[in-house]
Parts: sequence; structure tokens; C-alpha cells
Amino acid sequence: MARVIRLYEKKRGHRRTGSARVGRLGELLFFAVLSLLGVVGLAAMFFWLVVPQWQVSHRFVPHTCVVLDTRVRKHPTEDLFRPEVKIEYQVDGKTYVQWTYDIATVRDDPSSYLPDQKEQAEAAARFVVDPEKPREYPCWYDPADPHLVVVCRGSKWWTWLAFSVPLSVLLIGAVGLVYTWVSWDKSAERKAAISSRLAPKRVLRANGESRPQFPYVPDGKEITNSPGTKLRFRLPMAASPGWPLFGLFLAAVLWNGIVGAAAVYAFTLFSQGRPDWRLNIGLIPFVIIGLALLGYFIRRLVMTTGVGPTLVEISDHPLVPGGNYRLFVSQSGRLKVQRFSVALVCEEEAVYRQGTNARSETREVFRQQLLCHEGFEVGSGVPFEAECTMQVPGGAMHSFRAANNQVRWKVLVAAEADGWPPVVRGFPVVVYPPSEHNILAYQCTDRL
Amino acid sequence: MHRPIVIIRLDGNGRVYRPGEVLSGEFRLSALPERPPKALEVSVLWYTEGKGDPDMAVHEFWRYRFSDQLSVDLRRPQRFSTQLPNSPLSYEGQIVKLRWCVRVRVFLADGKEVVGQKVFRLGGIPPAKCIGNGFAASQRTALLGVVDP
Amino acid sequence: MSDCWHLAAENPFSASRVRPGATPFIFDELPSLDRLLEQLRASKYWGQIVGPHGSGKSALLAALKAALESTGLEVLYIELRAGQHRLPINLRKLAGATKISVIIVDGYEQLGWLARMWLKRFCRRRKLGLLVSTHHPAGLSTLATLRPSLTLAQKIVAQLQQGYPELVLPADVAACFAATYGNLRETLFALYDIYEQRRSGLGKL
Repeated sequence: MARVIRLYEKKRGHRRTGSARVGRLGELLFFAVLSLLGVVGLAAMFFWLVVPQWQVSHRFVPHTCVVLDTRVRKHPTEDLFRPEVKIEYQVDGKTYVQWTYDIATVRDDPSSYLPDQKEQAEAAARFVVDPEKPREYPCWYDPADPHLVVVCRGSKWWTWLAFSVPLSVLLIGAVGLVYTWVSWDKSAERKAAISSRLAPKRVLRANGESRPQFPYVPDGKEITNSPGTKLRFRLPMAASPGWPLFGLFLAAVLWNGIVGAAAVYAFTLFSQGRPDWRLNIGLIPFVIIGLALLGYFIRRLVMTTGVGPTLVEISDHPLVPGGNYRLFVSQSGRLKVQRFSVALVCEEEAVYRQGTNARSETREVFRQQLLCHEGFEVGSGVPFEAECTMQVPGGAMHSFRAANNQVRWKVLVAAEADGWPPVVRGFPVVVYPPSEHNILAYQCTDRL
Repeated sequence: MHRPIVIIRLDGNGRVYRPGEVLSGEFRLSALPERPPKALEVSVLWYTEGKGDPDMAVHEFWRYRFSDQLSVDLRRPQRFSTQLPNSPLSYEGQIVKLRWCVRVRVFLADGKEVVGQKVFRLGGIPPAKCIGNGFAASQRTALLGVVDP
Repeated sequence: MSDCWHLAAENPFSASRVRPGATPFIFDELPSLDRLLEQLRASKYWGQIVGPHGSGKSALLAALKAALESTGLEVLYIELRAGQHRLPINLRKLAGATKISVIIVDGYEQLGWLARMWLKRFCRRRKLGLLVSTHHPAGLSTLATLRPSLTLAQKIVAQLQQGYPELVLPADVAACFAATYGNLRETLFALYDIYEQRRSGLGKL
């Protein structure tokens, strides 16, 4: 029985968005048209730009000519220019005199004209005109029609760049077409199965041996690419303050630069006895914002540099439930610390998107204090250092990352110091699924 | 028209499965529809539930297409088996829950679908509150200092 | 055994259950679905649904979309995210390739002024219907103004808990509704936590 594309779907009970098939047909047609445009564009570019150059390089006959004159010709309507060279040459006893340069010029192609007049003049000037002793230059002519001759071969620098436009259109169309076709009329499970088959199955270690894959567990490569000085690995901080600080700095500089220039202009007018009161008054809120931005940047800078970097090193990584690890923590700066603590924390994150709302919630589900020191001072050049041990609980959920949901583990360092707001810095770690003998031992019921 | 129900049974009768173990079972339809179904899909997959948009990934997938004459009686148990992966493991978190299941989807001749699902546990991860020394009841990530145990 | 565990472990307030369209829309103080459809028909399927955040605009749009399609109309549903000031699809190509009758835009106020003008002109020229959801009136005829009430919240919760242990009480709904200033979506998320804390007493049986 031929299946008819239904324009509507009835709904009862549990509802789904209907008319998916018509929507997908529209999608398919859209990407098909895009692909076609890309192909047509590529073909047009190819025949317009590439083929003539190929013909010059492979079909035209090398020859010599004498340069009689040069000029820079302006486009009849636009502010564009091209170099032209007047040459004289003989083929089969017949003398030819032609204005030429490259194949685009010979064909009077719009692409032979470029905006930089000076550059075109320099190109023309490379051919020396000497009426007393005319110089010989190489040229290439078309054996089928000797009137077609060039003195310059090779494509312009932007030729291949121009291909990127139709190529991008074609790629978008083709990928969309393939995706729409592949997921046509397929159930959610089938689409997910297709995409998971494309994912690499195994991971190779640096020494070549293969490691069983742990799907949807972050590999933690970024964590183990930094060796420690006291322990094996140095953990990177979750959010380095460097880039946000730099961004803030740029914003402050840009804003105050622009406002400052306007302020200087306003002051100049004022000192010349021609104050512009509208400008002066209008500048006030901008100056206030600029000063606030600067102040905020300075405060953040002082906080970051004053509190000093926190280093955390770990004896091994990734972690496994039931595993024991050593931690080394170092805190620099000039601080009078009231309380300094290190904890192992697990949190869940769930992202929910509906319409114009995107809502992300994080929930801490596990915390284990590893270290706590109170009432000490950290001197300049003499960081506070401490070591502790850490055991990941035997029944812990492993690290998990999907598009909308995550389970994350991290080492959290918190410091409360006189004169500073509380500082909390997180150092992500990855916990792998438990080894077999731990699974059954830590099965737990809710009867506490 | 009386719609069939998908009945799924797993070997091991609801026990916890370990990573790398073979999951096997059978499925059948409670009754045959008037016209033979067009296709049938069996998936072993995981999905999330909780406060976030659901994520899903298929571990194993089989699809069967039927011609006008069904060569197999779907009222009789049809077997399936697959080796389970190392992760992700089933998890009962607070705002993120991860569930594994076997899902059977039957595409009927009239264009409708019948779906049956059987949840199973992969790995023995206890619910979030059972772990470690103390349950942290904070609703937001603690960014203001240490929460004393 | 695993089924009992699974049912006890389900939370009726999880995102997949409270998502618009997941459960039937409760009309409460609004005219019935048939009345709304009649109004839409009379206005040539042009209209707007106005309401604050979390008042159920997307859910009502989902119900109207289903109802329109059941009458044989072809509906194109566009959901705009925050910051999306232009339509994410090429309407001209899509409309040319398919027989769309009504365009629904969820989050209409996200569109820039120019995009809105273009969309209205596009729909008028092709005699298409345009049904939108917006936080504030956007110049179309108002089909419904949503003002979530505690009564409605109670009804939604009762519907969600059908077939589940009723761990969330009316007093909980009232407290969360007040705490979230009448935002139904946030109320349901807050009730998720309450249900989750209480259902852990059921656990694996």
C-alpha cells in the first residue's frame, strides 16, 4: 500500500508535535535547494576562474614579444583599475599588436579590475617601455587564435578564497540534506542509534594500548596534561580568572578611551570659552559608568592578585570509587586567614530550555571535608602548604556529561581572610565508574 | 480495534546488571493486530529524568521490517541479548536521574505505534543521599564559604 | 521488582512531564478549546496569547496547535529562544515547498521590530494565519490573557500526580506558588524538590 503523506496527525492523550513529515519535507527541499545553489556556484566559479587559467598554462604556446606601451585602465563605471601592456609579436610570419595583460584582461572579465590603483600601476610598470631599445618579454598565445595572448600567468590570490562561498553553501546544504534524509521518518531511538554508531569506539593510550571506552564519562585529558611538582598531576582551576579579568580590562579601556576622548574634546571647548553644555551634561553618566567599570576591574585585580593563586596537586587521576589519593594544596598571597578548607564535592547540573527561558540548576549531592585550618597567616613569598588524603566513596556515581545533564566532581578550596570576601575555587576531577568488586559491596538501600 | 500491548521480560528477573555483562530477555505482543505490523524496533538505551531536559542515547538497536505476510508469530517470545557498556550507570540523583531500559516500538499498518518499555538497573550505584558522610541539602552551589559538616 | 523500584523512583514533576504538551492543557478560567478555535477562525487565525513568564503560554499554544491540525490545517511551529531576534528558518522557501496555513511563534517578543514587520507582511500576503505568544500585547488581537491562579496550579498538580503517590499537598502548592510570585513553571520545579524529598521514604520496596 502506498503511503500518503498526511498533512495532519490526530492526537489523543499523550500529545506530540504533529505534521513532522511535512516539516521534514520542507527541510529536505530547503537543503536540496541550498546544495544545488552550492553546486551551481562552484561550477560557475570553476569555469569562470579556473578553466581559463588552466588553458593558458597548458594550451597556450610560449613565445616572446616586445613591449611598446603600458597603461592603467579605469573601469568605465566603477573605481576599479587594471594594468594593460601593448605588445608586438610574430606568429607564422604575421605581426600582431595587442593590448593585453592576463587572461581576465583579454576576456575583458570584470574580475580583471581591482580597487588598488597604485598596485595596478606597479604591475604595469614591471614592463619597461624603451622606444630606443624595445625589450623582449615572454608571452603566451592561443594557437587556435593568435590574437589571444597574455604576458602574465597564474591565478589571483583571492581566486581560491572565492571558492569558499559556494563551498560553504554546498556543505551546509549537503550536510542538512544527509541529516534530514537519514533521520527521515525514523524513531528517536533509531536516530540516536545512528549517531552513536558514528562515535569512536575505543580510546588509545599514549603507549598504544587500548582502553575500554567509558561513554559519557569525560576523559579528563585537560586535567592530566599538567604535571605537578610534588604529586603527579596539577589540577587546573574550573574557571581561571585570567580571561574574565582581561575581558573586563578591555571593556574598561575601550569605554574609558572613548569617553575620555569625548571628555577631552568637551574640556577643549570649555577652555576656549565655547562650552557645549549638552555634551558636558550628557557625558556625566558615561563618565560615571567608566569610573565604575575601572573601579570594578581594579577591585577584581586586587582580589585575584592579592589572594594569590591556589595550587592543587593530586597523586593520580582519573579517580575511581573506593580509591585513595593524596592531595597537595598551596595558597599564596598576603593573607590573615580565618579559615581555610578543602573538600571533595559532587554536584548535579540540569539545564531546562523552554521557549525564551533557559534555566540551569546545580545541586550539591555530596561533600566530604578533607582539610581545615584556622587562624594563620600567609606571607608574601611563603605560601601556605598542606597535604591530605582523600578517599572517593565506594558507591559514588561516576562523572557524567550529556547535553543537558551532568554529574561533576571537584576539589573545592575555600578561604576566609581578613579584609577579603570569601574565596572559593573549584578544581574539577573525573571519577570513573567503579571497579567490579566495589559495586556489590556498596549497594545500599534507603532503610537508613 | 484492539491495540496489542508489548510485554518485555528480562532474564535475571529484575536483578542489577553489571557493566560488561550480557543483558538478555524476550518480548512479545499480547495479541496480533488485524493487519501485520510494518516494522518493529528493539532498543537498549538510557535516558535522563529530573529537572533538566531529557538526554538519551541508544546502546543497541535492532530493526525488523515485515512484508505483508508475517513469517514470525509476535505473540510468541522473541529473544534479544546485548553486552552492556561500562557507562553510564543507572543513577538516582536529586535533580538528575539516569535510567536504562529496553524499549520495543511496533509500527502498525495504520501508521500508529505501540511502545513498551522495561527499566533495568546497570551498576549498583545507590541513590545520591546514601553516599558518604552526610547529605548536603544545599539547593545552590555553595559559593559563599564552607558548609560545616 | 525493578518496575516497583522504577515507579517509586519517578517524580511526576520532572521536566519531561511538565513540558508544554506533555499533559492536557487545563482551561480553568479560559474559554474552552472549541471557543478559542472559533475565535481564531473568526480572526482568520490571527491572534496573540499574552501572559507573564511561566503562565502556560507555550502549553496553550501546544494545545491550539494540535486542535488546528486536527481540523486539517497545516501548522508551522517556531519556538524562539532568548536572544533570537530573527526567525531561525527560511520562511519563504519553507512556505513555498509546503502548504502551511498557520504560523505559530512562541516567544514573539524576541523578534526585532523589523523581523516582526516582515513576518506580518509575509503572512498577510500569503493569507497565512499568525498566532503568537508574548509577554506584552504585540499589536495582534488578543485571543487569551493568561493570569495563573492558585486554583489552576492546584488543578495542574492534581493532574500530574494522577497515578502517583500524592506526596505534594495543597498547602505545598500554595506555599510554592506564593514564593515564586505566581510563576507556574517555577512552582512546578519547586514542587519537584518537595516530592523528591518525600518520595525517598518510599524507595525500593
